[in-house]
Amino acid sequence: MLLLQGISKRFSGLAALSQVSFGAEEGVIKGVIGPNGAGKTTLFNIITGVFPPSEGSITFLGKEISGKKPEEIARLGISRTFQQAHLFKSLTVLENVMLGRHYRTRAEFLACGLRLPWARREEKAIRESSLDYLGLFGLGDKRDMIASKLPMGEQRYLELARALATEPKLLILDEPTSGLNDSERDDFREVISQIRKKGITLLVIEHHMKFIMELCDDIVVLNFGVKIAEGSPREIQASPKVIEAYLGREETIDP
Amino acid sequence: MRSMGKDKNRLAWIIVSASVLIFPVIVGKGYYLSVMNFIALYSMVAIGLCLLTGYGGQLSISHSAFFAIGAYSSAIFSLRSGVHPILAVLLSQFVSCIAAWGIGAVVLRLKGHYLAIATLSFTMIVGVLIKEMAWLTGGLQGLASIPPFSIGGFLFNSDWRFYFLVWPVTLLLLLFSLNLVDSRMGRIFRATKENEDIARLFGADVKKYKVKLFVLSSMYASLAGSLYAHFVGFVSPVTASIMFAIDIIMILAFGGFTLLWGAMLGAASLTFLNEYLTVFADYKRAIYGGALILIMLFFPNGILEGLKGWGRFLIARQLRGARG
Repeated sequence: MLLLQGISKRFSGLAALSQVSFGAEEGVIKGVIGPNGAGKTTLFNIITGVFPPSEGSITFLGKEISGKKPEEIARLGISRTFQQAHLFKSLTVLENVMLGRHYRTRAEFLACGLRLPWARREEKAIRESSLDYLGLFGLGDKRDMIASKLPMGEQRYLELARALATEPKLLILDEPTSGLNDSERDDFREVISQIRKKGITLLVIEHHMKFIMELCDDIVVLNFGVKIAEGSPREIQASPKVIEAYLGREETIDP
Repeated sequence: MRSMGKDKNRLAWIIVSASVLIFPVIVGKGYYLSVMNFIALYSMVAIGLCLLTGYGGQLSISHSAFFAIGAYSSAIFSLRSGVHPILAVLLSQFVSCIAAWGIGAVVLRLKGHYLAIATLSFTMIVGVLIKEMAWLTGGLQGLASIPPFSIGGFLFNSDWRFYFLVWPVTLLLLLFSLNLVDSRMGRIFRATKENEDIARLFGADVKKYKVKLFVLSSMYASLAGSLYAHFVGFVSPVTASIMFAIDIIMILAFGGFTLLWGAMLGAASLTFLNEYLTVFADYKRAIYGGALILIMLFFPNGILEGLKGWGRFLIARQLRGARG
């Protein structure tokens, strides 16, 4: 459903990504790993339209999306979470999720200001489905808290609830478990498996190797902006190139 | 806001509306009616700016320009084309809408201070045009004997009568705004104010929304201007003065930028101050400025939030005292 072909990105001459190509089939969990600075987040920013690629094409469900605006890409059904949870700090927990329903609903200025009957029904529906999403993560009774007051782990869940509220076809998670402890991480893996059962395709950046190896069907490895390997977790773990990227090469010193 | 806040807002609106509309019936006619009428006009402009700045995060110094565009358009349509005041007011809103759309689409590409300066420049341009295009606007003399607003032969030509035109309009605009900020659109404005890039990731066409909000906000000012022209019967370049744009921002600073009720309270406080400071004649503005500095120092979120905070503090102290 997602296909990247020859994606390159240069920031004032510095190549962050060069000629990266891979695809993700519908319903899979695809991992993206690589050492710090490998270009993983840059890649996600390009897919979601934060900035355009310097070269290459991205198709999503058969449509070219590279160079489109972030709001246009979002409306096609791509949603994401961030390395550091980017919640709207001045909004309540519930309002954050309600915001996720934004492009699935349509009441604008006049309808909202006049509280037309259909807009009120729509608002009620937004509220109810948002409460459902909060309920999935056990955040229902914190709905009226200001989002920034939540503890770290719950902020991540809230961000995920907000992303799911958009009813995405593709969900992109950028280091979803950073800052979580082992038991929270196990809970999180369980949540992600649940999301997959809904038929949502996932693209996950992660540093925690055990987590990603157990979670993903398929993994892409980036190093210095270049794809160095792609395959099943087993193949990746056995790949000499990957081991070299992470651990360095063995040098023999001539006497 | 949560559902509780929503109900509280509606209840407050009903109580305030009822009091404002019943008050003069009980007290009878008096000079205060004229002061109250100006409070309504200022509130209208301040509520509009509150939506744009407090909720949408876009600071504009052009609301006096739109007030003037509304006032002058109404004057010109009714004096030079002889149309009925109702039609004149509607046509003026159309003119302001086009003007706000045109200017908004260009300047809203800018952010923060740059946006403020661009809108300020627009206000200066409007001021100059009003002075120089004397064939249309009467130049420095302005335009006089603008007919009062009327509906079916009933003239709103006294303080008493105008009161029952301008207050219902203001209260309805307030209700519209309260509904708006507590809706799908209100949420996206607040989100945009906080982080525009993230708001866009939720499919919101932020640029389009900003322009529409700017148009809506400017039309509050323009409607107030139109009503003002028909009420006072006279417009002059003073109407377009930049000081008026600053006054509106001061009203918001006074009442709190992010509260629609604060906009009303700020308009009331500053208008009263203005009235009772007339004894100080030329020093009025200095006193006014001093008061604002004190407000900003002690109540940076406006007097409404400030008083609430003090109330909570005093209650907490009382409770502690009772316990200890």
